[in-house]
Amino acid sequence: MEYGTLERDIHIEASPEVVFDVVSSPEHLREWWPDTLEGTTQVGEGGRFGFGTGEGVKWVRFTVVDAVPPRLFSFRWMHEEGETAQEGNSNLVVFALEPDGTGTRLTVTESGFREQGWAQAQVLATYEDHYSGWGHFLERLQTYAAKVGA
Amino acid sequence: MPVDDDLWSAIGDPTRRRMLDLLLTEGGGTATSLSDHLPVTRQAVAKHLTVLDRVGLVRAETAGRERRFSVDEPQLARAAAQLAAVGSAWDARLRRIKRIAETIERGRTPTPDSGTNPAGPGTSG
Repeated sequence: MEYGTLERDIHIEASPEVVFDVVSSPEHLREWWPDTLEGTTQVGEGGRFGFGTGEGVKWVRFTVVDAVPPRLFSFRWMHEEGETAQEGNSNLVVFALEPDGTGTRLTVTESGFREQGWAQAQVLATYEDHYSGWGHFLERLQTYAAKVGA
Repeated sequence: MPVDDDLWSAIGDPTRRRMLDLLLTEGGGTATSLSDHLPVTRQAVAKHLTVLDRVGLVRAETAGRERRFSVDEPQLARAAAQLAAVGSAWDARLRRIKRIAETIERGRTPTPDSGTNPAGPGTSG
């Protein structure tokens, strides 16, 4: 097990173009990760993810590092407001996409825990566990379905 | 115990991870015995052992002229569990990405067997 860098992969029965769109577009990012997203996912730009809603929302900054459709999308996150994202003050998340049969092999790596201490990532992982429960997910799904239907 | 950052940093170093592996497989060792298996000096190994000792990943006992170290397995398990928590969060996110992408894919290719287009999706839609 490699400590300090986390790697996970999954096979998806969809083309790399579709998967790239899902991992990189703000609309889809909101469906699979933060509750809210402010900003853009253009290279060199970014914004902030919001976890939770209302008064309890926790905002975390992100900056897009690289985007090579439909093969690669990477961003840094968890740097402080006003800081430029770089090694040592943020974690780097890299999505790599490869054709795999009739679908796509999606690999994600997250690194930076060692450099910046990992307590912050742990807090967010715990936070997500709380908020990705079924109740919260269904609530979000309903909101999303209502938007699509409108 | 507010040692999480130190613990993470201690196991983040490749040489120290190799040392932990060696201590686990050999059932313990000294700075000298570890340096026999590693491309670093005994002095460097001793420094790494100090770091591991400070966060409780190894325990030392005096054996003759040298201190003998062994892995504190509960503490190592605790470090691994912390990493696993972050990993399981990514597993959940990837499952959601999969579900969304496959739903979109099914929506745009109603007849998946009807000829593949190597040039990609083209300009449909």
